[in-house]
Amino acid sequence: MDRVEDAPAIETLGLSKTYSGGTRALVDLDLRVERGEVFGYLGPNGAGKSTTIRLFLGLIRPTAGRAALLGRDTQRDGVAARRIVGYLPGDLRLADRLTGSEQLDSLARLRGSVDPRLRDALCERLEVVLDRPIRQLSRGNRQKIGIVQAFMHRPELVVLDEPSAGLDPLLQAEMRTLLRESAAAGATVFLSSHSLDEVQHVADRVGIIRAGRLTDVDAVEALRERALRHVTVTFAESVDPGALARLEGVRVVRVDGPVVSLSAPETAMDALLKTIAPHSVRDFVSEPADLEEIFLELYRESGDGR
Amino acid sequence: MLAAIFPSIEGSPEFDQLVANYPDVLKELFGLGEGGGITTGAGYLDVELFSFMLPLLVLVLAIGSGARTFAGEEDAGRLELVLSYPILRSRAVLAKGVAVAVEVAVVSGVAGLAMALLDPVVGLDLSSRNLVEAIVSLAALGLLFGWLALALGAAVPSRALAIGIPAGIAAATYLVNGLHGLAGWLDPFRIVSPFWLVGSAPLRNGADWQGVLTVLVVAALVLLAGAWLVERRDLQTP
Repeated sequence: MDRVEDAPAIETLGLSKTYSGGTRALVDLDLRVERGEVFGYLGPNGAGKSTTIRLFLGLIRPTAGRAALLGRDTQRDGVAARRIVGYLPGDLRLADRLTGSEQLDSLARLRGSVDPRLRDALCERLEVVLDRPIRQLSRGNRQKIGIVQAFMHRPELVVLDEPSAGLDPLLQAEMRTLLRESAAAGATVFLSSHSLDEVQHVADRVGIIRAGRLTDVDAVEALRERALRHVTVTFAESVDPGALARLEGVRVVRVDGPVVSLSAPETAMDALLKTIAPHSVRDFVSEPADLEEIFLELYRESGDGR
Repeated sequence: MLAAIFPSIEGSPEFDQLVANYPDVLKELFGLGEGGGITTGAGYLDVELFSFMLPLLVLVLAIGSGARTFAGEEDAGRLELVLSYPILRSRAVLAKGVAVAVEVAVVSGVAGLAMALLDPVVGLDLSSRNLVEAIVSLAALGLLFGWLALALGAAVPSRALAIGIPAGIAAATYLVNGLHGLAGWLDPFRIVSPFWLVGSAPLRNGADWQGVLTVLVVAALVLLAGAWLVERRDLQTP
Protein backbone atom coordinates (compact mmCIF):
# COMPACT_ATOMS: atom_id res chain seq x y z
CA MET A 1 0.00 0.00 0.00
CA ASP A 2 2.98 2.32 0.40
CA ARG A 3 3.13 2.60 -3.34
CA VAL A 4 -0.41 3.96 -3.49
CA GLU A 5 0.17 6.32 -0.54
CA ASP A 6 3.23 7.91 -2.09
CA ALA A 7 2.11 7.83 -5.68
CA PRO A 8 1.66 11.11 -7.58
CA ALA A 9 -1.85 12.17 -8.56
CA ILE A 10 -1.24 11.30 -12.19
CA GLU A 11 1.63 9.34 -13.67
CA THR A 12 1.87 8.15 -17.24
CA LEU A 13 4.62 6.16 -18.94
CA GLY A 14 4.83 6.10 -22.73
CA LEU A 15 1.06 6.46 -22.88
CA SER A 16 -0.01 6.26 -26.53
CA LYS A 17 -3.23 5.99 -28.47
CA THR A 18 -3.54 5.24 -32.15
CA TYR A 19 -7.13 5.03 -33.38
CA SER A 20 -8.20 2.29 -35.74
CA GLY A 21 -8.13 4.75 -38.65
CA GLY A 22 -4.39 5.19 -38.04
CA THR A 23 -4.64 8.59 -36.36
CA ARG A 24 -1.91 8.93 -33.76
CA ALA A 25 -3.95 10.87 -31.24
CA LEU A 26 -1.39 10.58 -28.44
CA VAL A 27 2.28 9.66 -28.73
CA ASP A 28 4.48 8.54 -25.85
CA LEU A 29 3.11 10.73 -23.13
CA ASP A 30 5.30 10.85 -20.00
CA LEU A 31 3.61 13.05 -17.46
CA ARG A 32 3.73 13.41 -13.71
CA VAL A 33 1.27 15.60 -11.82
CA GLU A 34 1.88 15.94 -8.09
CA ARG A 35 -0.83 15.86 -5.45
CA GLY A 36 -2.41 19.21 -4.64
CA GLU A 37 -1.28 20.67 -7.93
CA VAL A 38 -3.48 22.51 -10.43
CA PHE A 39 -2.24 21.36 -13.80
CA GLY A 40 -3.32 23.07 -17.00
CA TYR A 41 -3.34 20.88 -20.10
CA LEU A 42 -3.19 23.23 -23.00
CA GLY A 43 -3.53 22.60 -26.70
CA PRO A 44 -5.53 23.52 -29.77
CA ASN A 45 -8.66 21.56 -30.69
CA GLY A 46 -7.85 18.04 -31.84
CA ALA A 47 -4.39 18.02 -30.22
CA GLY A 48 -5.17 14.98 -28.06
CA LYS A 49 -6.41 16.56 -24.83
CA SER A 50 -9.67 14.62 -24.66
CA THR A 51 -7.92 11.44 -25.76
CA THR A 52 -5.53 11.76 -22.80
CA ILE A 53 -8.39 12.35 -20.37
CA ARG A 54 -10.46 9.47 -21.73
CA LEU A 55 -7.44 7.20 -21.30
CA PHE A 56 -7.21 8.30 -17.64
CA LEU A 57 -10.83 7.25 -17.10
CA GLY A 58 -10.54 3.94 -18.92
CA LEU A 59 -13.12 5.01 -21.51
CA ILE A 60 -10.62 4.08 -24.20
CA ARG A 61 -7.69 1.65 -24.06
CA PRO A 62 -4.10 2.71 -24.67
CA THR A 63 -2.30 1.16 -27.63
CA ALA A 64 0.95 1.42 -25.63
CA GLY A 65 2.14 2.58 -22.26
CA ARG A 66 0.17 2.99 -19.08
CA ALA A 67 -1.33 5.51 -16.72
CA ALA A 68 -2.00 5.50 -13.00
CA LEU A 69 -4.16 7.80 -10.89
CA LEU A 70 -2.88 8.01 -7.30
CA GLY A 71 -1.10 4.73 -7.87
CA ARG A 72 -4.10 2.89 -9.30
CA ASP A 73 -3.55 1.58 -12.81
CA THR A 74 -6.30 2.84 -15.13
CA GLN A 75 -6.52 -0.50 -16.96
CA ARG A 76 -5.95 -3.17 -14.34
CA ASP A 77 -7.54 -1.26 -11.47
CA GLY A 78 -9.97 0.95 -13.36
CA VAL A 79 -12.82 0.97 -10.86
CA ALA A 80 -10.49 1.95 -7.99
CA ALA A 81 -8.93 4.65 -10.17
CA ARG A 82 -12.30 6.07 -11.13
CA ARG A 83 -13.53 6.04 -7.53
CA ILE A 84 -11.22 8.89 -6.56
CA VAL A 85 -11.87 10.98 -9.67
CA GLY A 86 -14.48 13.61 -10.46
CA TYR A 87 -14.82 14.09 -14.22
CA LEU A 88 -16.47 16.75 -16.30
CA PRO A 89 -16.60 15.66 -19.97
CA GLY A 90 -15.85 18.17 -22.69
CA ASP A 91 -19.09 17.30 -24.44
CA LEU A 92 -21.46 16.75 -21.54
CA ARG A 93 -24.61 14.75 -22.34
CA LEU A 94 -27.10 14.26 -19.55
CA ALA A 95 -30.37 12.33 -19.33
CA ASP A 96 -32.60 14.92 -20.99
CA ARG A 97 -35.86 13.65 -19.56
CA LEU A 98 -34.74 13.85 -15.94
CA THR A 99 -34.78 17.01 -13.89
CA GLY A 100 -31.47 18.31 -12.58
CA SER A 101 -32.24 16.97 -9.16
CA GLU A 102 -33.23 13.50 -10.46
CA GLN A 103 -30.07 13.36 -12.59
CA LEU A 104 -27.87 14.20 -9.61
CA ASP A 105 -29.73 11.63 -7.46
CA SER A 106 -29.21 8.95 -10.08
CA LEU A 107 -25.49 9.77 -10.40
CA ALA A 108 -25.13 9.85 -6.60
CA ARG A 109 -26.61 6.35 -6.37
CA LEU A 110 -24.21 5.16 -9.05
CA ARG A 111 -21.29 6.74 -7.18
CA GLY A 112 -22.44 5.41 -3.83
CA SER A 113 -20.46 7.83 -1.67
CA VAL A 114 -21.77 11.35 -2.03
CA ASP A 115 -21.89 13.97 0.69
CA PRO A 116 -25.45 15.37 0.38
CA ARG A 117 -24.57 18.57 2.22
CA LEU A 118 -21.67 19.27 -0.12
CA ARG A 119 -23.92 18.59 -3.08
CA ASP A 120 -26.62 20.98 -1.82
CA ALA A 121 -24.01 23.64 -1.04
CA LEU A 122 -22.58 23.36 -4.57
CA CYS A 123 -26.03 23.56 -6.15
CA GLU A 124 -26.83 26.65 -4.12
CA ARG A 125 -23.53 28.29 -4.88
CA LEU A 126 -23.75 27.74 -8.65
CA GLU A 127 -27.51 28.45 -8.66
CA VAL A 128 -28.23 25.14 -10.37
CA VAL A 129 -31.74 24.76 -11.80
CA LEU A 130 -32.88 21.54 -10.13
CA ASP A 131 -36.61 21.25 -10.76
CA ARG A 132 -36.83 21.49 -14.55
CA PRO A 133 -36.21 18.76 -17.12
CA ILE A 134 -32.64 18.99 -18.38
CA ARG A 135 -33.74 19.26 -22.03
CA GLN A 136 -35.20 22.67 -21.18
CA LEU A 137 -31.94 23.99 -19.75
CA SER A 138 -29.40 26.20 -21.49
CA ARG A 139 -25.89 24.94 -22.16
CA GLY A 140 -24.54 26.88 -19.19
CA ASN A 141 -27.15 25.47 -16.83
CA ARG A 142 -26.38 21.92 -17.96
CA GLN A 143 -22.69 22.59 -17.46
CA LYS A 144 -23.40 23.60 -13.86
CA ILE A 145 -24.99 20.19 -13.21
CA GLY A 146 -21.86 18.66 -14.69
CA ILE A 147 -19.67 20.66 -12.34
CA VAL A 148 -21.71 19.67 -9.28
CA GLN A 149 -21.49 15.96 -10.12
CA ALA A 150 -17.74 16.25 -10.61
CA PHE A 151 -17.21 17.71 -7.12
CA MET A 152 -20.03 16.22 -5.03
CA HIS A 153 -18.06 13.26 -3.64
CA ARG A 154 -14.97 15.29 -2.62
CA PRO A 155 -12.74 13.66 -5.25
CA GLU A 156 -9.01 13.52 -4.65
CA LEU A 157 -8.50 14.25 -8.34
CA VAL A 158 -10.71 16.49 -10.45
CA VAL A 159 -10.41 16.11 -14.22
CA LEU A 160 -12.11 18.81 -16.25
CA ASP A 161 -12.24 18.87 -20.04
CA GLU A 162 -12.77 22.46 -21.26
CA PRO A 163 -14.91 23.32 -18.23
CA SER A 164 -15.67 26.95 -19.09
CA ALA A 165 -17.55 26.13 -22.29
CA GLY A 166 -20.96 27.76 -22.13
CA LEU A 167 -20.36 29.48 -18.79
CA ASP A 168 -20.74 33.24 -18.50
CA PRO A 169 -17.76 35.20 -17.09
CA LEU A 170 -19.27 35.38 -13.61
CA LEU A 171 -19.57 31.59 -13.42
CA GLN A 172 -16.12 31.12 -14.93
CA ALA A 173 -14.80 33.15 -12.01
CA GLU A 174 -16.84 31.06 -9.55
CA MET A 175 -15.44 27.95 -11.20
CA ARG A 176 -11.86 29.19 -10.76
CA THR A 177 -12.58 29.88 -7.08
CA LEU A 178 -13.92 26.35 -6.74
CA LEU A 179 -10.76 24.93 -8.32
CA ARG A 180 -8.49 26.94 -6.04
CA GLU A 181 -10.46 25.88 -2.96
CA SER A 182 -10.23 22.24 -3.96
CA ALA A 183 -6.50 22.52 -4.46
CA ALA A 184 -6.14 24.29 -1.10
CA ALA A 185 -8.04 21.38 0.49
CA GLY A 186 -5.47 18.98 -0.96
CA ALA A 187 -7.19 17.82 -4.15
CA THR A 188 -5.41 17.70 -7.48
CA VAL A 189 -6.92 19.44 -10.49
CA PHE A 190 -6.24 18.48 -14.10
CA LEU A 191 -7.73 21.09 -16.37
CA SER A 192 -7.71 20.99 -20.14
CA SER A 193 -8.23 24.06 -22.26
CA HIS A 194 -7.39 25.59 -25.60
CA SER A 195 -7.02 29.02 -24.06
CA LEU A 196 -3.98 30.12 -22.11
CA ASP A 197 -5.99 32.94 -20.57
CA GLU A 198 -8.43 30.44 -19.07
CA VAL A 199 -5.68 28.39 -17.50
CA GLN A 200 -3.06 30.89 -16.44
CA HIS A 201 -5.10 32.29 -13.54
CA VAL A 202 -5.54 28.96 -11.78
CA ALA A 203 -2.83 26.57 -12.87
CA ASP A 204 0.51 26.08 -11.14
CA ARG A 205 2.06 24.31 -14.11
CA VAL A 206 1.04 24.01 -17.72
CA GLY A 207 1.66 21.22 -20.19
CA ILE A 208 1.36 22.01 -23.86
CA ILE A 209 0.20 19.33 -26.26
CA ARG A 210 0.20 19.61 -30.00
CA ALA A 211 -0.60 16.94 -32.59
CA GLY A 212 -0.58 14.25 -29.89
CA ARG A 213 2.82 15.17 -28.42
CA LEU A 214 3.52 16.91 -25.15
CA THR A 215 5.87 19.63 -26.31
CA ASP A 216 6.47 21.53 -23.13
CA VAL A 217 5.77 21.48 -19.41
CA ASP A 218 6.43 24.64 -17.55
CA ALA A 219 5.41 26.80 -14.64
CA VAL A 220 2.71 29.20 -15.70
CA GLU A 221 4.93 32.16 -14.85
CA ALA A 222 7.63 31.00 -17.22
CA LEU A 223 5.14 30.43 -19.99
CA ARG A 224 3.64 33.87 -19.56
CA GLU A 225 7.06 35.44 -19.78
CA ARG A 226 7.50 33.81 -23.13
CA ALA A 227 3.92 34.38 -24.20
CA LEU A 228 3.77 36.91 -26.95
CA ARG A 229 1.49 39.90 -27.06
CA HIS A 230 0.21 41.46 -30.27
CA VAL A 231 0.86 45.17 -30.06
CA THR A 232 -0.49 47.73 -32.49
CA VAL A 233 0.70 51.30 -32.05
CA THR A 234 -0.82 54.19 -34.00
CA PHE A 235 1.60 57.13 -33.98
CA ALA A 236 0.64 60.71 -34.79
CA GLU A 237 3.05 60.58 -37.74
CA SER A 238 5.23 57.97 -39.43
CA VAL A 239 8.22 56.86 -37.34
CA ASP A 240 11.28 54.73 -37.99
CA PRO A 241 10.50 51.29 -36.50
CA GLY A 242 14.21 50.44 -36.25
CA ALA A 243 14.48 51.45 -32.60
CA LEU A 244 11.55 49.16 -31.74
CA ALA A 245 12.95 46.22 -33.69
CA ARG A 246 16.22 46.41 -31.76
CA LEU A 247 14.46 45.69 -28.44
CA GLU A 248 15.00 42.21 -26.94
CA GLY A 249 12.34 39.74 -28.18
CA VAL A 250 10.42 42.31 -30.22
CA ARG A 251 9.59 41.69 -33.85
CA VAL A 252 8.07 44.26 -36.17
CA VAL A 253 5.38 42.45 -38.14
CA ARG A 254 4.04 45.25 -40.32
CA VAL A 255 4.46 48.98 -40.86
CA ASP A 256 1.59 50.79 -42.51
CA GLY A 257 2.37 54.50 -42.40
CA PRO A 258 1.95 55.59 -38.79
CA VAL A 259 0.50 52.19 -37.76
CA VAL A 260 3.12 49.72 -36.49
CA SER A 261 2.19 46.12 -35.67
CA LEU A 262 4.63 44.08 -33.63
CA SER A 263 4.83 41.05 -31.43
CA ALA A 264 6.53 41.21 -28.07
CA PRO A 265 6.86 39.03 -24.96
CA GLU A 266 5.45 40.40 -21.72
CA THR A 267 8.96 40.91 -20.44
CA ALA A 268 9.68 43.42 -23.22
CA MET A 269 6.57 45.48 -22.57
CA ASP A 270 8.22 47.98 -20.23
CA ALA A 271 11.11 48.72 -22.56
CA LEU A 272 8.72 48.92 -25.48
CA LEU A 273 6.52 51.52 -23.79
CA LYS A 274 9.53 53.61 -22.83
CA THR A 275 10.82 53.55 -26.40
CA ILE A 276 7.43 54.60 -27.74
CA ALA A 277 6.78 57.24 -25.09
CA PRO A 278 8.86 60.12 -26.60
CA HIS A 279 6.69 60.00 -29.74
CA SER A 280 3.18 61.31 -29.98
CA VAL A 281 0.82 58.28 -29.78
CA ARG A 282 -2.82 58.18 -30.92
CA ASP A 283 -3.65 54.59 -29.90
CA PHE A 284 -2.03 51.59 -28.26
CA VAL A 285 -3.53 48.08 -28.35
CA SER A 286 -1.98 45.04 -26.69
CA GLU A 287 -3.66 41.65 -27.07
CA PRO A 288 -2.67 38.17 -25.98
CA ALA A 289 -1.42 36.09 -28.88
CA ASP A 290 -3.42 32.92 -29.42
CA LEU A 291 -2.07 29.56 -28.48
CA GLU A 292 -1.03 28.54 -31.96
CA GLU A 293 1.36 31.49 -32.09
CA ILE A 294 2.80 30.62 -28.71
CA PHE A 295 3.46 27.14 -30.03
CA LEU A 296 5.19 28.54 -33.07
CA GLU A 297 7.32 30.67 -30.78
CA LEU A 298 8.17 27.61 -28.66
CA TYR A 299 9.13 25.70 -31.77
CA ARG A 300 11.29 28.55 -32.95
CA GLU A 301 13.09 28.49 -29.62
CA SER A 302 13.68 24.75 -29.64
CA GLY A 303 14.70 25.03 -33.31
CA ASP A 304 17.40 27.47 -32.24
CA GLY A 305 18.97 24.58 -30.36
CA ARG A 306 18.58 25.58 -26.74
CA MET B 1 -58.51 -7.34 -31.53
CA LEU B 2 -58.19 -10.44 -33.66
CA ALA B 3 -59.85 -12.64 -31.07
CA ALA B 4 -63.07 -10.64 -31.39
CA ILE B 5 -63.50 -11.75 -35.01
CA PHE B 6 -63.40 -15.38 -33.94
CA PRO B 7 -67.16 -15.90 -33.32
CA SER B 8 -67.89 -15.18 -36.95
CA ILE B 9 -65.69 -17.98 -38.26
CA GLU B 10 -66.17 -20.46 -35.37
CA GLY B 11 -67.44 -23.82 -36.59
CA SER B 12 -67.81 -22.52 -40.13
CA PRO B 13 -67.22 -25.38 -42.59
CA GLU B 14 -66.86 -22.84 -45.40
CA PHE B 15 -63.86 -21.37 -43.68
CA ASP B 16 -62.20 -24.74 -43.16
CA GLN B 17 -62.77 -25.39 -46.83
CA LEU B 18 -61.39 -22.00 -47.76
CA VAL B 19 -58.28 -22.73 -45.77
CA ALA B 20 -57.98 -26.15 -47.33
CA ASN B 21 -57.71 -24.38 -50.67
CA TYR B 22 -54.90 -22.10 -49.47
CA PRO B 23 -51.54 -22.79 -51.07
CA ASP B 24 -49.45 -25.04 -48.85
CA VAL B 25 -46.89 -22.27 -48.39
CA LEU B 26 -49.37 -20.01 -46.62
CA LYS B 27 -50.72 -22.86 -44.51
CA GLU B 28 -47.25 -23.75 -43.26
CA LEU B 29 -46.25 -20.16 -42.66
CA PHE B 30 -49.31 -19.34 -40.59
CA GLY B 31 -49.43 -22.62 -38.68
CA LEU B 32 -52.51 -23.96 -40.41
CA GLY B 33 -50.94 -27.27 -41.29
CA GLU B 34 -50.81 -28.89 -37.88
CA GLY B 35 -53.95 -30.50 -36.48
CA GLY B 36 -56.72 -28.48 -34.87
CA GLY B 37 -57.42 -26.13 -37.75
CA ILE B 38 -58.24 -22.47 -37.59
CA THR B 39 -61.84 -22.96 -36.52
CA THR B 40 -61.07 -24.06 -32.98
CA GLY B 41 -60.32 -21.29 -30.49
CA ALA B 42 -56.76 -22.40 -29.78
CA GLY B 43 -56.15 -23.06 -33.44
CA TYR B 44 -57.40 -19.63 -34.39
CA LEU B 45 -55.21 -17.80 -31.88
CA ASP B 46 -52.18 -19.95 -32.68
CA VAL B 47 -52.60 -18.92 -36.27
CA GLU B 48 -53.49 -15.29 -35.92
CA LEU B 49 -51.64 -14.28 -32.79
CA PHE B 50 -48.95 -16.69 -31.77
CA SER B 51 -47.52 -17.32 -35.17
CA PHE B 52 -47.43 -13.70 -36.22
CA MET B 53 -48.80 -10.71 -34.32
CA LEU B 54 -47.56 -11.34 -30.80
CA PRO B 55 -44.02 -12.47 -31.70
CA LEU B 56 -43.78 -9.43 -33.97
CA LEU B 57 -44.96 -7.09 -31.22
CA VAL B 58 -42.78 -8.59 -28.49
CA LEU B 59 -39.70 -8.81 -30.72
CA VAL B 60 -40.01 -5.23 -31.92
CA LEU B 61 -40.25 -4.05 -28.32
CA ALA B 62 -37.45 -6.32 -27.09
CA ILE B 63 -34.99 -5.49 -29.88
CA GLY B 64 -35.80 -1.79 -29.55
CA SER B 65 -35.25 -1.89 -25.81
CA GLY B 66 -32.04 -3.92 -26.05
CA ALA B 67 -30.55 -1.69 -28.74
CA ARG B 68 -31.61 1.56 -27.09
CA THR B 69 -30.26 0.81 -23.65
CA PHE B 70 -26.59 0.50 -24.65
CA ALA B 71 -25.98 1.28 -28.33
CA GLY B 72 -28.55 4.08 -28.26
CA GLU B 73 -27.14 5.62 -25.10
CA GLU B 74 -23.60 5.41 -26.48
CA ASP B 75 -24.73 7.02 -29.74
CA ALA B 76 -26.27 9.87 -27.77
CA GLY B 77 -23.01 10.30 -25.82
CA ARG B 78 -24.65 9.58 -22.51
CA LEU B 79 -22.43 6.65 -21.55
CA GLU B 80 -19.35 8.90 -21.34
CA LEU B 81 -20.26 10.27 -17.93
CA VAL B 82 -21.88 7.12 -16.53
CA LEU B 83 -18.94 4.86 -17.43
CA SER B 84 -16.47 7.36 -15.93
CA TYR B 85 -18.01 6.37 -12.58
CA PRO B 86 -16.50 3.57 -10.47
CA ILE B 87 -18.46 0.76 -12.08
CA LEU B 88 -17.45 -2.05 -14.41
CA ARG B 89 -18.84 -1.81 -17.92
CA SER B 90 -19.71 -5.52 -17.84
CA ARG B 91 -21.80 -4.96 -14.71
CA ALA B 92 -23.59 -2.10 -16.46
CA VAL B 93 -24.42 -4.40 -19.39
CA LEU B 94 -25.77 -7.10 -17.07
CA ALA B 95 -27.86 -4.54 -15.18
CA LYS B 96 -29.29 -3.34 -18.47
CA GLY B 97 -29.99 -7.00 -19.33
CA VAL B 98 -32.16 -7.24 -16.20
CA ALA B 99 -34.05 -4.12 -17.30
CA VAL B 100 -34.69 -5.59 -20.75
CA ALA B 101 -35.89 -8.85 -19.17
CA VAL B 102 -38.35 -6.97 -16.97
CA GLU B 103 -39.69 -5.10 -19.98
CA VAL B 104 -40.15 -8.33 -21.98
CA ALA B 105 -41.85 -10.02 -19.02
CA VAL B 106 -44.26 -7.13 -18.58
CA VAL B 107 -45.22 -6.99 -22.26
CA SER B 108 -45.71 -10.77 -22.50
CA GLY B 109 -47.61 -10.82 -19.21
CA VAL B 110 -49.97 -8.08 -20.36
CA ALA B 111 -50.61 -9.96 -23.62
CA GLY B 112 -51.40 -13.13 -21.65
CA LEU B 113 -53.67 -11.28 -19.26
CA ALA B 114 -55.56 -9.65 -22.13
CA MET B 115 -56.19 -13.03 -23.67
CA ALA B 116 -57.29 -14.62 -20.40
CA LEU B 117 -59.79 -11.78 -19.90
CA LEU B 118 -61.01 -11.98 -23.47
CA ASP B 119 -61.44 -15.74 -23.49
CA PRO B 120 -64.86 -15.92 -21.70
CA VAL B 121 -66.17 -12.93 -23.67
CA VAL B 122 -65.58 -14.34 -27.15
CA GLY B 123 -65.73 -18.00 -26.18
CA LEU B 124 -62.31 -19.17 -27.30
CA ASP B 125 -62.23 -21.93 -24.70
CA LEU B 126 -58.48 -21.82 -24.14
CA SER B 127 -56.65 -24.16 -21.82
CA SER B 128 -55.23 -21.85 -19.15
CA ARG B 129 -52.22 -24.09 -18.79
CA ASN B 130 -51.44 -23.86 -22.49
CA LEU B 131 -51.97 -20.09 -22.37
CA VAL B 132 -49.32 -19.76 -19.65
CA GLU B 133 -46.96 -21.99 -21.62
CA ALA B 134 -47.53 -19.95 -24.77
CA ILE B 135 -46.77 -16.72 -22.92
CA VAL B 136 -43.58 -18.20 -21.41
CA SER B 137 -42.34 -19.34 -24.81
CA LEU B 138 -43.16 -15.91 -26.22
CA ALA B 139 -41.20 -14.24 -23.40
CA ALA B 140 -38.24 -16.57 -24.05
CA LEU B 141 -38.18 -15.43 -27.70
CA GLY B 142 -38.36 -11.79 -26.62
CA LEU B 143 -35.53 -12.26 -24.14
CA LEU B 144 -33.29 -13.94 -26.71
CA PHE B 145 -33.63 -11.18 -29.30
CA GLY B 146 -33.65 -8.35 -26.75
CA TRP B 147 -30.43 -9.60 -25.15
CA LEU B 148 -28.91 -10.19 -28.57
CA ALA B 149 -29.55 -6.53 -29.46
CA LEU B 150 -28.09 -5.41 -26.12
CA ALA B 151 -25.03 -7.66 -26.44
CA LEU B 152 -24.31 -6.55 -30.00
CA GLY B 153 -24.51 -2.90 -28.96
CA ALA B 154 -22.11 -3.68 -26.13
CA ALA B 155 -19.67 -5.55 -28.38
CA VAL B 156 -19.69 -3.16 -31.34
CA PRO B 157 -20.31 0.58 -31.26
CA SER B 158 -23.12 0.59 -33.80
CA ARG B 159 -26.79 1.08 -33.14
CA ALA B 160 -27.67 0.06 -36.70
CA LEU B 161 -26.04 -3.36 -36.20
CA ALA B 162 -27.66 -3.76 -32.78
CA ILE B 163 -31.07 -3.44 -34.41
CA GLY B 164 -30.39 -4.89 -37.87
CA ILE B 165 -28.71 -8.16 -36.95
CA PRO B 166 -31.33 -9.37 -34.43
CA ALA B 167 -34.14 -8.27 -36.75
CA GLY B 168 -32.54 -10.11 -39.68
CA ILE B 169 -31.96 -13.27 -37.65
CA ALA B 170 -35.52 -13.13 -36.34
CA ALA B 171 -36.95 -12.81 -39.85
CA ALA B 172 -34.79 -15.63 -41.23
CA THR B 173 -35.44 -18.07 -38.41
CA TYR B 174 -39.16 -17.22 -38.45
CA LEU B 175 -39.29 -18.22 -42.11
CA VAL B 176 -37.32 -21.41 -41.44
CA ASN B 177 -39.86 -22.36 -38.79
CA GLY B 178 -42.79 -21.54 -41.06
CA LEU B 179 -41.51 -23.28 -44.16
CA HIS B 180 -39.35 -26.19 -43.01
CA GLY B 181 -42.19 -28.72 -43.46
CA LEU B 182 -42.66 -27.61 -47.03
CA ALA B 183 -39.14 -27.19 -48.33
CA GLY B 184 -37.41 -30.44 -47.47
CA TRP B 185 -33.94 -28.98 -47.64
CA LEU B 186 -34.88 -26.51 -44.90
CA ASP B 187 -36.00 -29.23 -42.53
CA PRO B 188 -32.58 -29.91 -40.92
CA PHE B 189 -32.25 -26.19 -40.17
CA ARG B 190 -35.45 -26.03 -38.11
CA ILE B 191 -33.43 -26.78 -34.98
CA VAL B 192 -31.66 -23.41 -35.27
CA SER B 193 -34.97 -21.57 -35.32
CA PRO B 194 -35.92 -20.39 -31.83
CA PHE B 195 -39.50 -20.16 -33.08
CA TRP B 196 -39.48 -23.90 -33.74
CA LEU B 197 -37.59 -24.68 -30.53
CA VAL B 198 -40.11 -23.10 -28.16
CA GLY B 199 -43.01 -24.97 -29.77
CA SER B 200 -44.81 -23.98 -32.95
CA ALA B 201 -48.44 -24.14 -31.82
CA PRO B 202 -48.23 -23.46 -28.08
CA LEU B 203 -51.93 -22.81 -27.46
CA ARG B 204 -52.83 -26.23 -28.85
CA ASN B 205 -49.80 -28.27 -27.90
CA GLY B 206 -48.18 -26.33 -25.05
CA ALA B 207 -44.57 -25.20 -24.95
CA ASP B 208 -41.57 -27.36 -25.70
CA TRP B 209 -39.80 -26.98 -22.36
CA GLN B 210 -36.50 -28.35 -23.56
CA GLY B 211 -36.61 -25.85 -26.42
CA VAL B 212 -37.53 -22.98 -24.11
CA LEU B 213 -34.62 -23.89 -21.85
CA THR B 214 -32.27 -24.03 -24.84
CA VAL B 215 -33.39 -20.58 -25.97
CA LEU B 216 -32.90 -19.17 -22.46
CA VAL B 217 -29.42 -20.67 -22.15
CA VAL B 218 -28.39 -19.27 -25.55
CA ALA B 219 -29.83 -15.87 -24.55
CA ALA B 220 -27.79 -15.90 -21.33
CA LEU B 221 -24.60 -16.89 -23.19
CA VAL B 222 -25.15 -14.11 -25.72
CA LEU B 223 -25.57 -11.56 -22.91
CA LEU B 224 -22.45 -12.81 -21.12
CA ALA B 225 -20.47 -12.57 -24.37
CA GLY B 226 -21.63 -8.97 -24.74
CA ALA B 227 -20.59 -8.19 -21.16
CA TRP B 228 -17.17 -9.72 -21.82
CA LEU B 229 -16.58 -7.94 -25.12
CA VAL B 230 -17.66 -4.51 -23.90
CA GLU B 231 -14.62 -4.37 -21.60
CA ARG B 232 -12.32 -4.87 -24.56
CA ARG B 233 -13.19 -1.95 -26.76
CA ASP B 234 -13.11 1.84 -26.84
CA LEU B 235 -16.15 3.85 -25.96
CA GLN B 236 -17.14 6.06 -28.90
CA THR B 237 -17.91 9.74 -28.70
CA PRO B 238 -20.78 10.95 -30.84
